[in-house]
Amino acid sequence: MNKATVNNHDQRLKKGSRVLFFWTLLWMLSVAGLVFGPKLMWDFDHTATVITIVINLVLGIKMLLVNKQHLNDMDDMQQKIHYNAMAISLGCTMVLGIIYGSLKPAGLLEENPNPSNLLFVMGLSYLIAVFINFRKYL
Amino acid sequence: MKNRLKVLRAERDWTQADLANALDVSRQTINAIEKGKFDPSLPLAFKAARLFDMPIESIFDDGQEQ
Repeated sequence: MNKATVNNHDQRLKKGSRVLFFWTLLWMLSVAGLVFGPKLMWDFDHTATVITIVINLVLGIKMLLVNKQHLNDMDDMQQKIHYNAMAISLGCTMVLGIIYGSLKPAGLLEENPNPSNLLFVMGLSYLIAVFINFRKYL
Repeated sequence: MKNRLKVLRAERDWTQADLANALDVSRQTINAIEKGKFDPSLPLAFKAARLFDMPIESIFDDGQEQ
């Protein structure tokens, strides 16, 4: 067996990561356009905003499909690690989301809860879970 | 689950990277399977059996008495 052979699986995964990064970047740019565009670029023109929403939606769907393909390209252990991380992330977001949502009615928060804060919880818990799971198998 | 991957690999003078490439998985996955930290799926176990030209039960042992 050729010991200098490059691992095809790793190469495929690296390429998948680059493709996922590209589409995620495009989606994030479209989110930025959606958030800042109406005020800073097209003075709340409804047509421009609707077009931006459609572009954002299309890019979001493409990003989801690329992410799904990336997960399919992973091997057994990598998939298990990421699926476990998704379960933990979903659970954390649900539990903390309900607590966060009840802060204002309970009088502990003056402002309305911002849903985008939950994305931060979701991303952070996912990253931590992936890190812990990877260490478990090393 | 116990397995003989490390022994079979050593008999053929293969590295973990060689075996990983032959089974189309990452080297970390081979390492985890060899250490018994991760049990491979049935398709991956069959793939290993075909690669070593041996029955699955000769490579993987779940420790259950028949």
